[in-house]
Amino acid sequence: MKFGSLVALDGVDVSVKKGEILGMIGPNGSGKTTLFNVISGVFAPSSGEVLYKGRPITGMRPHAICRAGIARTFQVVQPFSRMTMMENVLVAAMHGGGLGMIEGRHKAEEILRLVGLGEKMHLTPGAVTTADRRRLELARALATDPEVVILDEIMAGLTPSEMQDALGLLKEVNRKGITIFMVEHIMKAVMTLCHRIIVLNYGRKISEGSPEQVAADPEVIRAYLGERYA
Amino acid sequence: MRLSATKVRWISLGLIGLAALAPLVMTGYWLRLVTFIFMWIALAGSINLLTGYTGYLDFGHVAFFGVGAYTTGILMVKLDFPFLLAMLGGAGLSTLLAVILGIPTLRLRGAYFAIAMLAFSEALKQATLEFEWLTGGGNGLTLPIYTNYPFFYYSMFAAALLTLALTHWFERSKFGYGLMAIREAELAAEVSGVDTVKCKLIAFALSALTAGFVGGIYAYWMTFLSAADCFSVLITVRMIIMTFLGGAGTLLGPVIGAAFLATVEEILWAEFKYTYLVIVGIVVVFVVLVVPQGIVGLFRERIRTAL
Repeated sequence: MKFGSLVALDGVDVSVKKGEILGMIGPNGSGKTTLFNVISGVFAPSSGEVLYKGRPITGMRPHAICRAGIARTFQVVQPFSRMTMMENVLVAAMHGGGLGMIEGRHKAEEILRLVGLGEKMHLTPGAVTTADRRRLELARALATDPEVVILDEIMAGLTPSEMQDALGLLKEVNRKGITIFMVEHIMKAVMTLCHRIIVLNYGRKISEGSPEQVAADPEVIRAYLGERYA
Repeated sequence: MRLSATKVRWISLGLIGLAALAPLVMTGYWLRLVTFIFMWIALAGSINLLTGYTGYLDFGHVAFFGVGAYTTGILMVKLDFPFLLAMLGGAGLSTLLAVILGIPTLRLRGAYFAIAMLAFSEALKQATLEFEWLTGGGNGLTLPIYTNYPFFYYSMFAAALLTLALTHWFERSKFGYGLMAIREAELAAEVSGVDTVKCKLIAFALSALTAGFVGGIYAYWMTFLSAADCFSVLITVRMIIMTFLGGAGTLLGPVIGAAFLATVEEILWAEFKYTYLVIVGIVVVFVVLVVPQGIVGLFRERIRTAL
């Protein structure tokens, strides 16, 4: 993926296995969000391919990729501000999940309860905490009835106890058979949750493996802490 | 006081019934005034379908009104079409233009879309002046005279009801929720499965269709068309002011905004012939500053629970 002459992603080859929780880490500017944007159709890659269940989805528009089963959240939350939490999730359930108004409402309510927003469904996103807005992002993604969710720093800015809740929630989502591909800076979250981790630096994949393998990889330590510590 | 849904329904039906019977008692000045108010309700409602629900501010919306008016006129004068058919032709052409135009311009956001549309409506005005053999150019276009004023009253009334029916559908349909999501955060809507291109195009097309209808009725009512009047940017500005005054993205906003502004203008015009525009300006600024959500915003909670 290039922006002008800047190569944001260079020969990155990633595969996500059905049912797993795959984590992606890397220093700022290493291309994590760009990779998510390429997968979810926000950017069309300048070269390369995105395959989903063996079929190319490269260059498909985001709504089509969402309907195909890949939902995502944004690092900077993007709620529909003048709509209630219920309506936020309803949009996703109807348009992404292909439901009608009535089934959509049932689905939205179920998802809101799942993420712990059951009591707040009639508030607008402006009236709740950051943590709740992040839950809303997740709820909107889940309402589209996805097989894969791509989570871009869903835990950023949460307090330790909110993070514990989020960890439990993501485990539960995964238990329901939903594959998770997440970017996260909070190492504790990544280490406890992810089955496998890939590491990006300057647009290249520099490491891949179990959390323990990746944490011990000299390449990774060099990328984060510099030559001296490797 | 809280209004129940059934009460609101009865009040609305009552008002519609009253309006339907009004020409029995109204004539001359009053009939004309109320016909104009319905025209502005329909026009404000038309731009509300696009701007109120998708957030795309259209500074050239008068183009669809003008195309509706001129197409109706040309079909009637040059090809001897009956009015109804000519008007449908005008509205159809407006809709088609919106679809063709929307494909490139609806990719633009914010001011860029507004500017592109403004340029488009001005270009149409010049084209109308240029193609004299078709449009009469600077001399204008004169239509066959028809003085059945209750007919125009009912036509404008029907156009207003049509836009309100469409708005009502926007308010409570899957499609409408998709539009509102686009207005609030377009990228988030897209990744939540909303086919933003298709939704925006449909909203734009419906908004052009209703403006085209009004243009067609206006043409036959006024019996004389000039490019300066039919493509006047002031018409667009009034549509926008009325919509925001009443409350953009609401069912009743355009109705209240149009009725309020048209009435205030009428009263002021009678009392202060030379300064009324200044006073209208002050009223608009005051309302925008005090109630940025529009007049409907004042009553939002009550209306929301009722509807």
